[in-house]
Amino acid sequence: MNGYKVDDDRRKQGSSANAARRWAHRIVSGVWSRLSRFDLVVLILFALVLLITAIGPLVTPYPPMFADPLQRLVPPNRAHPFGTDENGIDVLSRLIAAPRTDVLIAVIATTLSLAIGAPLGVVTGYFEGADRRAMRWISEATLRLLDVIQAFPVFILAMVLVAIRGTGPANVVFAVAFVNFPVFLRLVRSEILALREHLYAEAALALGNSELGVGFKHLLPNAWPTVLVQVSVTIGFAVLLTAGLSFVGAGVSPPTPELGAMIASGAKFLVIGQWWVAMFPGLLLGLIVFTFAVMGDVASKLMEPGQHAIASGRLSKNDRITPPAHGESAAPSAKGAVLSLRGLTIEADSRPAVLNGVSFDLMPGEILGVVGLPGSGKSTLVRAIVRLLGYGLRQQAGHVFFRGKDLADLDEKTLRAIRGYEILPLLANPKSQLNPLVRTGDFMVAHIRAHHRSSRREAHARAARMLSTIGIGDAEHWLAAYPHELSGGMAQRVCLAIALVHRPPLIVADEPTAGLDVTVQRQVLDLMIELCHQNGAAQVLATRELGIVAHYCDRVAVLHEGLIVEAGPVRDVLLAPRHAVTRRLIAAADLRAVTAPARTNTSLKIVR
Amino acid sequence: MRTFKYICRRLLILIPQVFLISIITFSLVRMLPGDPARLELGPLAPEEGVELLRHQLRLDQPLPQQYIAYLQRVIYGDFGRSWVNSNSVAQDLLVRAPATLELMIAGMLIVLVVMVPIALLSASPSRGWLARAMQRISFGYGLLAGALPDFWLGLVLIFVFFSVLGWAPGPEGRLAIIELPPERVTGFYTIDALLAGDFDTFKSALSHLALPAATLAFVYGAPIFKMVRASMEAALRSDYTIYAEGLGLPRRTVFLWAMRNAAPPTVVVTGVVAGYLLGGAVLIETVFNLNGIGQYAVQSITTADYAPIQGFVLVAAVFTMIVYLIVDLVQFMIDPRLSARAS
Repeated sequence: MNGYKVDDDRRKQGSSANAARRWAHRIVSGVWSRLSRFDLVVLILFALVLLITAIGPLVTPYPPMFADPLQRLVPPNRAHPFGTDENGIDVLSRLIAAPRTDVLIAVIATTLSLAIGAPLGVVTGYFEGADRRAMRWISEATLRLLDVIQAFPVFILAMVLVAIRGTGPANVVFAVAFVNFPVFLRLVRSEILALREHLYAEAALALGNSELGVGFKHLLPNAWPTVLVQVSVTIGFAVLLTAGLSFVGAGVSPPTPELGAMIASGAKFLVIGQWWVAMFPGLLLGLIVFTFAVMGDVASKLMEPGQHAIASGRLSKNDRITPPAHGESAAPSAKGAVLSLRGLTIEADSRPAVLNGVSFDLMPGEILGVVGLPGSGKSTLVRAIVRLLGYGLRQQAGHVFFRGKDLADLDEKTLRAIRGYEILPLLANPKSQLNPLVRTGDFMVAHIRAHHRSSRREAHARAARMLSTIGIGDAEHWLAAYPHELSGGMAQRVCLAIALVHRPPLIVADEPTAGLDVTVQRQVLDLMIELCHQNGAAQVLATRELGIVAHYCDRVAVLHEGLIVEAGPVRDVLLAPRHAVTRRLIAAADLRAVTAPARTNTSLKIVR
Repeated sequence: MRTFKYICRRLLILIPQVFLISIITFSLVRMLPGDPARLELGPLAPEEGVELLRHQLRLDQPLPQQYIAYLQRVIYGDFGRSWVNSNSVAQDLLVRAPATLELMIAGMLIVLVVMVPIALLSASPSRGWLARAMQRISFGYGLLAGALPDFWLGLVLIFVFFSVLGWAPGPEGRLAIIELPPERVTGFYTIDALLAGDFDTFKSALSHLALPAATLAFVYGAPIFKMVRASMEAALRSDYTIYAEGLGLPRRTVFLWAMRNAAPPTVVVTGVVAGYLLGGAVLIETVFNLNGIGQYAVQSITTADYAPIQGFVLVAAVFTMIVYLIVDLVQFMIDPRLSARAS
């Protein structure tokens, strides 16, 4: 046991030294590049605020508390750049001296609420998951009590607390700390709840540390980054609260230089046009609060490694495409093909290409399987054909021809008319494809009416017919349902009904049966292929399962790292694979099970 | 039936909450040094009166008894008397409440009619001039909001629109000093003036309401604005939006359906903000001299008038609880997933 402990301690020291070194390294190397110009401004402002708080009262040009009746309410001039107040005190000097009061009160109060809230948060977080009922009960009661404390509006609670205990900086600190501690308690509690699920928490427990000990020693330090951000935001809020309290006379009272009280005393002069007394303190107050609020974000950027500013990627479906670099890929589409891809290249922001010069032709009624390992670019290919690349992806080169027309040349309106009418997407995770707050029926009706002039009632009847066609009984019930009431298989059947209702010439499917259980998978696929055959629809079917390809497709293209490495009739490719990836996929697939006729499976079940 | 059950359960939670609130307000005044009866009646009250109240508050008995006495008074709507103007506190609060409510409702209306649409449009990934302009506005607002103190912003608005431009009335209250309030029906001057068919008073009431409501909306609308924008952005980037686009649905439909998903989180934040509004109203009423319950509380604090403070705190907390209750119910109604979970 003892040995463990020493070892544990040494490792901890080692890791913290390592962490410190890594942290220092990050500061030297990457920090400046991560910060935008805006962040730098915030950092400088932050340093200035701290500096003024520290030395403000010592460097004022005039004494900030010395009245001069001869100089009352002088407008800004050279001697007094911000004018003087009703006591004849230089406003600039009071401004320089005031942050000492406001920021100091806010910082002390926030530290205090952190000191109360964080340990309580650790305890509550631990009690919540404890085995003993009494502990869980305590944590629950604490949270409900917090609910009630937080039901009192913050400002009113603080105001009343000061009123009860009397004005003065110490009581303001107490009031501000009291109204803010629930924030930290809740934050730390939720962090602890999330962190204790991690493996290292369990490892520490297994080494014989007590639950609470683990909470304080191992989990609390990991919660620090989040907490620190909140500290910064809370300090800003506390400055505002302090100033507000002083403004209504329930905080720091004059003559102590304090921003809220300065605004209060300047208020009556502002109304009659002597604006400078109240205007400048408000601006300074806003600046301080702003700095602390934004400093939280900047601090979190500094602390989190590899946390780049998210590039403001835009939906790129309307982007014009640069002309193809290679002459060969500019060849026009094959005669009679429904879909022709020529050198399609898709890039993500500052990463290697997701698709790299993909070309193929698809004849009417033909089913092309696109297989590949996860991450090979299958989904991107499907989305590129419907021209819905989403954020951060760009079509860099190449063409998508649909019936001989380049989709990139179409305007928004024509594209909308083709999408959902002639080219139908069928995507993975059908439940997340349906808007959770729209009834299935409304969705189908909208889709039917988007492409076919009809009344709501006609469209509804047609949707119901379509559902019966694909074998869904009690269509009205499902049309009134919300997506969360559908099972995955049912949701995909609905999507299938949507895909087929306009009898499109082309369906692009991306793992349409992923996540469904095997029998449902089978039913959905059988149905889909059968209906495609009936309608003469061509299909691109992206999947990672060769079994599906073997059973349902005419041709297959193997996609690897954005390149088509092998393509041809299904039989040829599967029986004589030439590329290593194809062989790996074949090895991973249980082809016999899938290629076996569907009936055997059911009869087997019956026998059992 | 399901909804009914949920409402009942939610109302049941309210009871212990209100109970706790009353305990806290009760102890707030007991925390004070000195005799609660003397504090409530003020330094000028005769000793006999104090003695009488002391008996009424059962101060000679143990704390639980005192608490029950307090509860009995509150349940009968007796919040004690202000020693400054010797009015009944309940009466004072009731007279002033419409001013505060009118301010809060007007502020929330501005948020709803002006700020929410801007937030929605700025969330759109479109590059049209409108979306771009809205994105600029929302960036600028994001920087300012939350940093500018409400009381100072109110003063600046008075300075600009009253002192410099002369477009708005000064901080003289809910009507000009020479004007008479309309006959009291709801207590909302704007509505009462309309009911009385008095358009001049209506206009005056509205113009007196404009600046304080704008201040309230600007400062307290910020969280709502940010939540609308963020959840709308998330909804517009989600799978279901991409799928709907892929089906060629009209742009309007796609946008409107995305909005449905932005609604639930927005309702939650709006509820939290509505809870804070009363705190904001305290400062803004003071600046604009609206004489609502917030300003009443501030005046009571400066005169150490404890009965009104106690009454106001209780009202404020119960108000917040009721707002949270409404939020929960509204959310239950607009999100079918919640009702599914509740059953």
